[in-house]
Amino acid sequence: MSAPWVDLDPTLVVVAAGTTTVGAVSGALGCFAYLRRQGLVGDVVSHSALLGVVGAFVLVHAITGSASRSLFILVPGALVAGTAALMLARSVSIRTRLNDDASLGVMLSIFFGGGLFLLRWVQRQSPPIAGHTGLEDYIFGMAAAMTRADLWMIFALGGGALVVLFLMWKELKVFTFDPDFARSQGLPSRLLDTLLMGLLVAGVVIGIQTVGVILMIALLVTPAAAARQWTSSLSTMALLAAAFGAVAGAGGALLSASAASLPTGPVVVLLATTIFLLSLLLAPRRGVIARARARRVLRDVPPRAAGGAS
Amino acid sequence: MIEFWTLAIAAVTALACALSGTFLVLKREALVSEGLAHAVLPGIVIAYALIGDRTSPLLLVGAAAMGLVMILAVQAVRRTGVVDATASLGVVFPALFSVGVLLTSMDLAGTYFHADCIIEGNLALAPLDRLEVGGRDLGPRAFWSVSVALLLVTGFVALLFKELKLLTFDPELAASLGFRPNRVHLAWLAVVSFTVVASFEAAGSILVVALMIAPPAAAVLWVDDVRHILGLAGVLGLVSAFAGHELGMAMDIAPAGPMATSAGALFLGSLALAPRGILMKGRAHRHLLARMEVDLVAARLRPGAPRDLESVRGELGWSPRRFDAVVARAVSGAGLVHDAAAGTLHLAARPAGS
Repeated sequence: MSAPWVDLDPTLVVVAAGTTTVGAVSGALGCFAYLRRQGLVGDVVSHSALLGVVGAFVLVHAITGSASRSLFILVPGALVAGTAALMLARSVSIRTRLNDDASLGVMLSIFFGGGLFLLRWVQRQSPPIAGHTGLEDYIFGMAAAMTRADLWMIFALGGGALVVLFLMWKELKVFTFDPDFARSQGLPSRLLDTLLMGLLVAGVVIGIQTVGVILMIALLVTPAAAARQWTSSLSTMALLAAAFGAVAGAGGALLSASAASLPTGPVVVLLATTIFLLSLLLAPRRGVIARARARRVLRDVPPRAAGGAS
Repeated sequence: MIEFWTLAIAAVTALACALSGTFLVLKREALVSEGLAHAVLPGIVIAYALIGDRTSPLLLVGAAAMGLVMILAVQAVRRTGVVDATASLGVVFPALFSVGVLLTSMDLAGTYFHADCIIEGNLALAPLDRLEVGGRDLGPRAFWSVSVALLLVTGFVALLFKELKLLTFDPELAASLGFRPNRVHLAWLAVVSFTVVASFEAAGSILVVALMIAPPAAAVLWVDDVRHILGLAGVLGLVSAFAGHELGMAMDIAPAGPMATSAGALFLGSLALAPRGILMKGRAHRHLLARMEVDLVAARLRPGAPRDLESVRGELGWSPRRFDAVVARAVSGAGLVHDAAAGTLHLAARPAGS
């Protein structure tokens, strides 16, 4: 068997370009969610997107009489559902005694359960609704089914998110690390919060076709957590996380294409997890090994010198 | 008969999930159920590959052990001190789930598990898989496994209720009183993990998560006492199981989605109607505001000294409409006397001793 990169299959090029972009974009966006300790928010957004995707499909079909799985239909649906789930969860945790975890969990159940409900209903319709067969793929992802049009959508949405991130960098950075200070400087914190949420939703939406709604969380959290181990600068962290995400995405596409019938999503996630584990062990200063060594050095220092050094 | 068993399995699953979910919801750990519901998948597949006998009860124990592995892995990642708790969960459970999906797709364990069953389970077929002991048919195997889970959960809650409560609301106090909060917690999560595994086959991951979070979260909006929350969560879980089952039957689709949606609908209903829900809390807030307005007027009056209405209104700076409304409320309820002829307002004489 020849190596997958020798005979560049055009379909594989599209898929690999897509997964690489998705990995890079969600890696960079995930840093903000990670630093704001909102890692699991991405999980809720991605699960909720199922209801949006299926709902948009049904809605367009009901209005126009025909629907396709074009991302131009499904992306707005996923955006609306993801944002709605987050806003509902936030309002529940602000206005009731339920904590963030519980309100996020409830919204996840409602939106994902509702999405599944609607999906099964669509599949039961007779005569069958044309084009519904691929909707199922959003659950586990189906990178191999990526088309050129999908790729352009990924480029447009992902690139757009990165451009916004770049333009608003300073504001988002201040807001992420010190929301109180940001407010005192007159930055519109609600707007920035909504902006970060919107970026997250955009990242999730382009990712779910590749890895599916269930595993999307890993693309947001894992590269960011890995990158955090190597640096304390936000820009370096975002670049590193994007690189890790891109490597995992590209590697996942190539690996799953070379080995028969391996689903892409889980391979991408496991590659990202491997990068995370290596970072956790090997990173200078924060890494487990480096810190164990530092502790040993500290223990061997005579007490007086240790006291003086601190 | 099949429908009876389907309902029985659904009901017991709903109860076991709601009871174990209550403490997760109260302890800010609701999303641990989401993690467990995904992480046990490789456990189920690996245990099946190792044991080979899909009727062995060891299968459940093995898979539940994988849930504990996830918990310990999350704790290990968190204990490095460089990754926070939410993120460690977010790294660990997708990784384990990916292993599970890969193993399933590689068909390592034969055609035991179908990808669709991971999310939705297979409640419709569960009653057909019977438990036979010595040639006697004892009913569906799934019913027995969720019943054992329910028994474990109720047993744990009944025996260690105080410890669980302390652990949930004040782990520091628990530690300072000499309990081992970590051990109790781990034992509890082992029970939860077993519940997830036992429910998984019939209910699938989405239903497990929905039944563990939505009913307790709804119950918290109605009542305060942990016992009452447990009871109400159980009732709401049962209602969602029955309603979802009927809905699924009527529309001829797998019941997991409808059950999860019913649980969600009950939560949204509670959010609207329960005393601690959003709407009622708004009403209580407006009520409080109305009482404060009356108090503001009353604070400007002294007993036995009538004051001109307009001058009181001027001091408060209120619009005539608002002021009139407040005065009307104050006269009907709070012991203010409005002398319409003189255009004055004064406090009613208080009965002695109050």
